[in-house]
Amino acid sequence: MSALTFTLKYQPAQRVDLSPLVCQRLQGLALGDIAALELQSGKAKLRVDELFDITGDDAQHIIIKNSVAKLDFIGKELESGTISVEGDAGAYLGMGMKSGEIKVSGNAGLYAACEMKNGYLEVAGNVGDFLGAALPGNKMGMKGGLILVKGNAGERVGDHLRRGTILIEGNAGDYCGSRMTAGTIAVMGSTGRYLGYAMRRGTLLLWNAPELSASFNDCGSHTLAFLPILFASFKSLNSKFAEVSVAFNRVQRYAGDMAEIGRGEVLVKL
Amino acid sequence: MLIKLTGGTVYDPASGIDGQQQDIYIQDGRIINKPNGDFKVDKEYDLKGKVVMSGAIDMHTHIGGGKGNIARTLLPEDHRQDPVHRSDITRSGCGHAMPSTFVTGYRYAEMGYTAGFEPAVLPINARQAHMEMADIPILDKGGYVMLGSDDYLLRMLTAKKDQKAINDYVAWTMNSAKAIGVKVVNPGGINAFKFNQRQLDLDEQNSHYGVTPRQILQVLATAVKELGVHHPLHVHGCNLGVPGNMQTTLDTIQGIGGLPMHLTHIQFHSYGTEGDLKFSSGAAQIAEAVNRNKNITIDVGQILFGQTVTASGDSMRQHANHKHASPNKWVTMDIECDAGCGVVPFKYKDQNFVNALQWAIGLETFLLVDDPWRIFLTTDHPNGAPFTSYPHLIRLLMDRTFRNDVLATIHPEAQKMTTLASIDREYSLQEIAIMTRAGAAKLIGLQDRGGLSAGNFADITVYTNNSNRQKMFEKPDYVFKDGQLVVVDGKVVSTLWGTTHVMKPDFDLSVEKGLKDYFDRYLTMKLGNFKISDDEITEDGRGSLTAHPLKVA
Repeated sequence: MSALTFTLKYQPAQRVDLSPLVCQRLQGLALGDIAALELQSGKAKLRVDELFDITGDDAQHIIIKNSVAKLDFIGKELESGTISVEGDAGAYLGMGMKSGEIKVSGNAGLYAACEMKNGYLEVAGNVGDFLGAALPGNKMGMKGGLILVKGNAGERVGDHLRRGTILIEGNAGDYCGSRMTAGTIAVMGSTGRYLGYAMRRGTLLLWNAPELSASFNDCGSHTLAFLPILFASFKSLNSKFAEVSVAFNRVQRYAGDMAEIGRGEVLVKL
Repeated sequence: MLIKLTGGTVYDPASGIDGQQQDIYIQDGRIINKPNGDFKVDKEYDLKGKVVMSGAIDMHTHIGGGKGNIARTLLPEDHRQDPVHRSDITRSGCGHAMPSTFVTGYRYAEMGYTAGFEPAVLPINARQAHMEMADIPILDKGGYVMLGSDDYLLRMLTAKKDQKAINDYVAWTMNSAKAIGVKVVNPGGINAFKFNQRQLDLDEQNSHYGVTPRQILQVLATAVKELGVHHPLHVHGCNLGVPGNMQTTLDTIQGIGGLPMHLTHIQFHSYGTEGDLKFSSGAAQIAEAVNRNKNITIDVGQILFGQTVTASGDSMRQHANHKHASPNKWVTMDIECDAGCGVVPFKYKDQNFVNALQWAIGLETFLLVDDPWRIFLTTDHPNGAPFTSYPHLIRLLMDRTFRNDVLATIHPEAQKMTTLASIDREYSLQEIAIMTRAGAAKLIGLQDRGGLSAGNFADITVYTNNSNRQKMFEKPDYVFKDGQLVVVDGKVVSTLWGTTHVMKPDFDLSVEKGLKDYFDRYLTMKLGNFKISDDEITEDGRGSLTAHPLKVA
């Protein structure tokens, strides 16, 4: 069986909701049925075959070729299987995904991995704001799984993060880890202003010293035995995070946000 | 155009018709007598075997005003679960607990309702409330203006101003805010909250003004009566939701001394403190007091299980309840020193002892109050449940077997604490028509509404009789509003704009002297801007005002 491949024929004028093209919803459908599915694009509905050339038959392995940043909701609520995006992904990539794997070769837009439940999401390029965040007004963002971003992330990474791990090889924007309840965010590059704004619990692991608010307290330097275990868990990743040379166990620890319950921690490599 | 509704079984308590087969003729938006001589019927509907009632009137539903918008802003997840798409004749929006304005109109009409009254119009926010209600299609609407915690009235009471001065102020406020009634919410309590009092009993003094809720109720109920306003003072009493508040409610009934008074969402005010869990039903005592005191009317504020949002002017009680917020987010605020506002999302659970007993208390109240003309069917939308659950509630009232089946599934301790299972009463169609139509129109003083005799506006709902009352009431065959067919088979087929019902009691113009100084010194707008002109309601070409006559003394 070969991967079910959607090759984008042209750049659509409006954004397209790609949520119907997810493994569990295509399972068992004939190519003709898939071609006849309708996708919302702006005000209009487009048949899948108007927008894509479709080949292959393995719905558990979907490839989206020539993808552009107007394709939203790729892999929404994915339950199993893999989705590979060749090119860019739009907003809400992997929103609420429950299991499986999504890989994007280019960049992803706003709200990638929004309220993700579990599984693995990898973006080779950059991601927009609100990575792994909650929808506006909701109280819980990502609840589990692993996100790897090889480029940079926008603002509000892990807003309302509840559980799970976000790894960023590049830089993160302002308000990284804002309002997080728990979970882990690791940033190898720089971070912006208001790091951990209103965070309650959870861990921000940093390679570079951040600009911290006055509501974070310096708790001194520590050697933490859990860090080598954490890094060991990244060994299988195709990432800088898997390299032995990046690991460390000696950190400066800051606690905050004291404007909240203050049980979060920012660990900075020493 | 002459429309004939042929052979329907008519329930029209306003003219004492209880299930008789009758033809109804409609011309120019009104019901008329059968024309004399030869006449041509332009459109005939065969309603043989169908149930015909006038359009239902919700006399207490939060459909306008700032708190609704706060609730909407607070609960985006609720809207995401219930998006409503546009059609050729209807606008898009969203639904569930606090629907958008347009969806509110459509969904009410689709259940056979043709009017809804917003019970908490803050005078200073009245303009916004009217503008919001102006966006509700199909329904007629109106509002009760909220007084009792405003500093101006409390100052008047402290200064021992006479009843005439208070009458003028109440009448002036009703005219300025374009209201049809007067409501008081936690009398003086919203104000006391701002002076750091966290509860205020009926005879407890406001720590700043030295005024008690009992005094406030007295002067406002007197004002409403003396002004000739039909709807009695609409009272959301003290101690909402507090176990043991049944006694407060009984004292309130006693203390009003025979003046007409409407106690709203009384379910929330009927709690005792008996039992192991110190929470019990006071419905029997309350119902007995209501049965005995003919000056009292009530609406129930039934809770139904599920997610909703509570939105109230009672910032004191909402603040106390905020720890029950589900999902855990809430808003309590002051509104321009005029009143308050509290919005707390709530999920009523049938396996929660308190919620389950609240459910039973509401139903006990419905079933133990004898006179359907003095009790009204509400869930205090959205506080007890969204208005879309009315058909379910009607089934609970009309179908004892169904009621007992649901009762058997709720929290076992709550089952032990309620007498519901022993109550045999089932509401009849006529009683439902009284509660939701004729009674409501009479209570508010609506002229030519709520009845099916000649001269009434042709607000008519046609149902297919079905022993499953929920199915029957959630999908009327036809709904006419002002003679126009707006709903077929429970779906909107055309829309129009309802009118805004008001009452205009007289007042002495000199009342503005003192008010002008007060506005200039303390409030955020000038007196001239505070007053809503008729044009503001009508100038968009779709709103209209209908002033109803005052009671003649």
